[in-house]
Amino acid sequence: MASPLAQFEIKTLIPLQVAGYDISFTNSALFMAITVAAIMFFMTVGMRKGALVPGRWQLCVEMCYEFIANMLHDTAGRDARKYFPFIFTLFMFILFANLIGMTPYFGFTFTSHIAVTFAMASFVFIGVTIIGLAKHGFKFFKLFVPAGAPLALMPLLVVIELVSYLSRPISLSVRLFANMVAGHTMLKVFGGFVVALGALGVVPFAFIVALTGLELLVACLQAYVFAILTCMYLNDALHLH
Amino acid sequence: MPQLDPAVFLPQIFWLFVIFGLIYLFIAHSAAPKITQVLEKRQARISSDLEEASSLQAKAEAARVSHEKALEEARLKATSTITAKREAIKADVEAEYAQLTEKLGAEFASAEVKILAAKDKALDEIRVMSVDICKEIIQSVSGLDLDKKIVSERVGAKFEAVKENANG
Repeated sequence: MASPLAQFEIKTLIPLQVAGYDISFTNSALFMAITVAAIMFFMTVGMRKGALVPGRWQLCVEMCYEFIANMLHDTAGRDARKYFPFIFTLFMFILFANLIGMTPYFGFTFTSHIAVTFAMASFVFIGVTIIGLAKHGFKFFKLFVPAGAPLALMPLLVVIELVSYLSRPISLSVRLFANMVAGHTMLKVFGGFVVALGALGVVPFAFIVALTGLELLVACLQAYVFAILTCMYLNDALHLH
Repeated sequence: MPQLDPAVFLPQIFWLFVIFGLIYLFIAHSAAPKITQVLEKRQARISSDLEEASSLQAKAEAARVSHEKALEEARLKATSTITAKREAIKADVEAEYAQLTEKLGAEFASAEVKILAAKDKALDEIRVMSVDICKEIIQSVSGLDLDKKIVSERVGAKFEAVKENANG
């Protein structure tokens, strides 16, 4: 029986080297491409009519759009509107990646790779910091000084704030990564039990069915969490506290 | 854990940026504007429809008010017409009634006179007849052939009393 972690292995499909750097097209990249193709298909076909009274499919696309638009507006305010395409893309990308990764047997979940989630989280973190610095200049560092705190505690509080700020990309990336890894590993482990237990395998099989439902929920939830935390960080950068 | 092998970092991150950049460009420049446009079009349509509905409602309300006003006017006019007619008819009836009363009164009066005359005439005839009858009765009872004049005088006196009674 294969290890439950074997599903996370990266297999090189097209070896590629540029200036000594390995940028091979792997199964991870393939699923990124599939994810992107699925999003394009979902949106293009859903909006092909652009009907005044939407059909089911169009309504789904519009609901995704309005869900993220309202979330961004509620958490980061009106002036975060111009970052909407990025947040929307981020949400759809993670959502589709997680859901496509749930495909039994074939599915590969690239959001279960810390390299991928950390790259996204770092991009968000660096982007948000640059936006904050560009908007507020030096005043941006007021973010690390809690308002109304006693002066004596200030050195400690500033250090705490700074650490919590710097740990954002880590918590953001590890949350998504760990959720995906845990869910998929658990599915695989119980899948192994189904085979090992023979006729009694119906018990772990029933558990897998329930777990799959839970994992679908987690897939959506983690995409939402990633998106809303990005909105919150954006709000901090745009409005300080 | 295959995820922690540093060899898998770079290819994944490279393709992530390439492919994420691709979908970002697609969404930012094609999909999102299209959805925005559709939603705005719908919003515009809804608000214009609502506006139209409220203007139509105002029109309907105005029509209702003017209709009610017309109705009220017509009712007032009808009432006043009815009142005038009633007054006129009443006056006519009263005039006719007075005329009729007058006519009937005159007829009554003339009829009374006639009746009285007839009565007097009848009484006179009865008196003449009574005198004859009394004379005959006296003659047959007592054998006295009284002068008609005397009988007439006596009977006449009684008769006047009866007549007084009858008329009184």
